[in-house]
Amino acid sequence: MTNIGVYICHCGTNIAGVVDVEGLTQKVAKLKDVSLAKDYKYMCSEPGQDLIREDIKNRNLDRVVVAACSPRMHENTYKKVLASAGLNPFLLEIANIREQASWVHLDKEKTTDKALDLIKMAVAKVRMDEPLTSLSANVIQRVLVIGAGIAGIQTSLDIANIGFDVVLVEKEQSIGGRMSQLGKTFPTLDCSACILTPKMVEVSLNPRIKLFTYSEVEEISGFIGNFKAKIRKKSRGLDESLCTGCGLCQEKCPTKVPSEYDEKMGKRKAIYTLFPQAVPNIPVIDRASCLYITKGKCGVCKKVCPAGAIDYERTDEFIEEEIGAVVVATGFDPFDPVSKEEYGFGIYRNVITGLQLERLLHAAGPTKGEVVRPSDGAIPKRIAFVQCVGSRDEHANKYCSRVCCMYAIKNALLIKEHHPESEIFIYYIDIRAFGKGYEEFYKRAQENGIKFMRGRVAEIFEEQKSRNPVIRADDTLLGMVTENELDMVVLSVGMIPRSDSSKIQKMLGLAASPDGFFMEAHAKLRPVDTLVDGVFLAGTAQGPKDIPDTVAQAKGAASGALEVISHKTLQLSPLISEVDERLCRGCGDCKDVCEYGAIEIVTLDTHKVARINPAICKGCGACAVACCNGSIKLRNYTDSITFAMLDATLGGAV
Amino acid sequence: MKQIIKRTKAYYCVECGKCSGSCPVARVNEGFSPRVIVERALSGMKGEIEGDRELWTCLTCEACTTKCPSTVKFSEFIRGMRSSAFNSGYTSRCSQGGLLHSIQRVQSYRDIVQNRLQWISDDLKTSTEGEVLYFTGCLPYFENLFSGFVNPLEIARSTVKILNKAGISPVVSPNERCCGHDLLWTGNVETFQKLARLNIEMIKESGASRIVTSCPECLRTLKLDYADFFEGTDIEIVHISEFISSLIKNNDIKLNRAGIMTYQDPCRLGRHMGIYDAPREVIKSMGELVEMNKNREESSCCGVSAWATCEGNSKLMQIERLIEAKSTGADMLVTSCPKCLIHFRCAVHNQIPVEKEKVDIPVVDLTVAACRALAGE
Ligand SMILES: Cc1cc2nc3c(=O)[nH]c(=O)nc-3n(C[C@H](O)[C@H](O)[C@H](O)COP(=O)(O)OP(=O)(O)OC[C@H]3O[C@@H](n4cnc5c(N)ncnc54)[C@H](O)[C@@H]3O)c2cc1C
Ligand code: SF4
Repeated sequence: MTNIGVYICHCGTNIAGVVDVEGLTQKVAKLKDVSLAKDYKYMCSEPGQDLIREDIKNRNLDRVVVAACSPRMHENTYKKVLASAGLNPFLLEIANIREQASWVHLDKEKTTDKALDLIKMAVAKVRMDEPLTSLSANVIQRVLVIGAGIAGIQTSLDIANIGFDVVLVEKEQSIGGRMSQLGKTFPTLDCSACILTPKMVEVSLNPRIKLFTYSEVEEISGFIGNFKAKIRKKSRGLDESLCTGCGLCQEKCPTKVPSEYDEKMGKRKAIYTLFPQAVPNIPVIDRASCLYITKGKCGVCKKVCPAGAIDYERTDEFIEEEIGAVVVATGFDPFDPVSKEEYGFGIYRNVITGLQLERLLHAAGPTKGEVVRPSDGAIPKRIAFVQCVGSRDEHANKYCSRVCCMYAIKNALLIKEHHPESEIFIYYIDIRAFGKGYEEFYKRAQENGIKFMRGRVAEIFEEQKSRNPVIRADDTLLGMVTENELDMVVLSVGMIPRSDSSKIQKMLGLAASPDGFFMEAHAKLRPVDTLVDGVFLAGTAQGPKDIPDTVAQAKGAASGALEVISHKTLQLSPLISEVDERLCRGCGDCKDVCEYGAIEIVTLDTHKVARINPAICKGCGACAVACCNGSIKLRNYTDSITFAMLDATLGGAV
Repeated sequence: MKQIIKRTKAYYCVECGKCSGSCPVARVNEGFSPRVIVERALSGMKGEIEGDRELWTCLTCEACTTKCPSTVKFSEFIRGMRSSAFNSGYTSRCSQGGLLHSIQRVQSYRDIVQNRLQWISDDLKTSTEGEVLYFTGCLPYFENLFSGFVNPLEIARSTVKILNKAGISPVVSPNERCCGHDLLWTGNVETFQKLARLNIEMIKESGASRIVTSCPECLRTLKLDYADFFEGTDIEIVHISEFISSLIKNNDIKLNRAGIMTYQDPCRLGRHMGIYDAPREVIKSMGELVEMNKNREESSCCGVSAWATCEGNSKLMQIERLIEAKSTGADMLVTSCPKCLIHFRCAVHNQIPVEKEKVDIPVVDLTVAACRALAGE
């Protein structure tokens, strides 16, 4: 004999406005095995919870149905109520009469009927539900952070400083990311290196952070609490343990090639570090340009290295690390304006990108902080910034990149401060100055005589003799098309997902938003979580953002990862599939349909069977459907339960 | 107007001005701004737009439409507004004193008898029924009006000659009518529809399953604007440049070298229909192609469309483009639209505002050039 209690919530007027709750309660009270039915204004409130708790104790309820909002909202609340009253929490069912009834229909009578049907099904199900106990798994109490820009650095430091171990993997030869390329930062104009390098040094000195630079994660397997990562540590062409970072090799190397780090505004050697404060301060030999490696000639670096560290033949190493959680902080790429043909980037030399300008403005950049024209090295006096290049554009990216308005204003101000006589124009559609102190910063630019021209630049062409770029644009406030001859034009390129992000995406099974950046689990409430348990996002890998937002999110990701790894064991949902090994014929159909890789086919003495890893299984039930002879069942969602639910609403029609 | 705004997604406009900055007309005419027209429409100023002469100034060349970051279909917007203005009693300022539009309107009468096949000389093979139909367009009429400085019918003869060379004796019908392009783009939708119905009838009667046009406007109109009328039939419509380039690819014809050429992308063939490569392939097979600075999607316009916009500013655009063509050092400027040909030739026909040397570059139709270069002729 079962004793089911049904609790029907008004949710203020959310439900009661459309459903006749009192009438419904009377009908439900008459259902088979229902020993009591009650309605209440807010079931999730403390008095509502107490009501259920008291009834379980005093009226000996052994199963409970709550008819209220979606189980995504309050299933956990009611589970805890059951547990606190001594009842197995899996003997609870939620009938979603808000999202699935009152919110989507208007007709009171029909909606009430539908609510009754939903409750009938829940009653039918709860009657057959089995009590279950949560599973637990051990947790490896370390975090893998992929990418060491400001996001990855901040996440790693937070985790390490709380007392847990971090494995930090960076693809480039130094940590620091894009922020290390920037000259100064808006809106306070502090120098990027001055605020970044202390954190970089802290990473290198923190004993809890195991840093792999010039390395990439090649494979990740496992599940929340128990991941395994295979890391490729690329060969730098030298023995890192011997290198002292003296820099003699770079000085003597005869080969010069355009520097990627300087956005091709300067040159680097074939053996090189990215910048003076690189962490670690160990160079890399670029195999594509090294004379010794490509032609067998030269060998100068080997000759001059006082530590004897150079080793051209050195090969990549592979390392395996075990971790309990992963934070993806792989950052962004700047938009490549070559595809915006009307701007002539790559053809007209005095048209450069915002990131190229950052390199020119950087005290340690190719021009030591002096802004010069690429065509003749002259100091430009008339400069224009072109906003929204590759952003807010259906032909490129729809979204706003969020930082380019502010970085253009920043760099305009910096140039104006250096050369007050220069004339600076910013061609914009809207100035987006949304952050703290940003509107004030915009004002400061206006006070300093920066000219804001409202209109999207239509095209840029070049005066052949002077190589001056000329901007054609509709001045939408004056209502006339204007031509403006300049010494230099800076394209404020937006942010796009990294070109290699699909590799990480596939490896971890992440989803991507329509804009191509990694997708968070919930846009508002779970902004650093992903849909893969134990994997978190930090920084621009998730979408365009500035440094303050990146750091805030990085701290959020650290706390998300800590929530996973700060416990020695992990509770896992028991609502998963299980295999009846006597029936299973080991055909593997289930393995093929499992999206999560939770199923393995194992060989027993006489035959093969499927085994489900309870820590990976999400309880989606795909395998149970695929299984041809019914040897897999999803707990508490068995065929007989499903039929009973259908019977309850269709009145025996099936 | 609300409908037009919805259909052309004009409501997405953020007034960034990319359109006006990219517009070849705005370059020479300060009073014309696509952005302002859209802005007015969004504020509900229907009467003002309909009564504004600038409504008819737009070339509908799609220079703005292809660039609009918010994907507003401006040409279509103009077309819609023109038909609304037409219904309110406004009309375009038709060049040639309205003669061309009259000829086109007359063709919409069912019972007229046209004398449009006289150009078919004995050396040309044509049929009354068959698989391939050559849609001649307005060439016979143009001949009468513009033979002072161009030979429009040479385009027709060259087209048939090339088709003959490929073993095709195309249907050429005395009952063909103007495709209706110009009337449609100047707001006269009703007459356009009459013309379309008559043409569809003629095409169905001929039994053709493939139509070749030598005019990009006919191509666009038949392929896109007749789509509703053609419903249920399976007729392929190609431009002669596509046809010739496939002949060359299959080695069915060979062309002799004919010099250095630069190429004018007609707006209907290029930006409207996305055909940029086929004419270039034809040129490359008979000579060297040197591109003008503005080419393909960026190409400048020949300055007039739908016989609705010819004015001093058109001439400025034409001269500017001819200077650009001449400065490439090419022997000739090739185009694949009879109207581009007429407009460029017209611009230098009498008084020109610059020295003659700057603009004296022969302008030749692609099909004519290809026909002249046919090996073994
Ligand atoms: C021109 C310009 C100027 C700017 N100016 C400012 C400013 O003044 N103020 C401000 O607040 N913001 C500014 N920003 C924004 C700022 O650059 C970003 O907010 C910040 O750099 C984001 O940091 P991140 O760590 O998310 O990404 P990134 O800096 O891109 O770091 C990502 C790191 O991950 C590494 N990585 C990538 N893939 C892998 C992989 N598969 N394996 C291992 N490692 C990997 C990369 O090598 C990199 O080191 C500017 C941006 C631009 C483009
Ligand atoms: S931040 Fe400014 S420049 Fe960048 S996309 Fe947004 S509006 Fe355009």
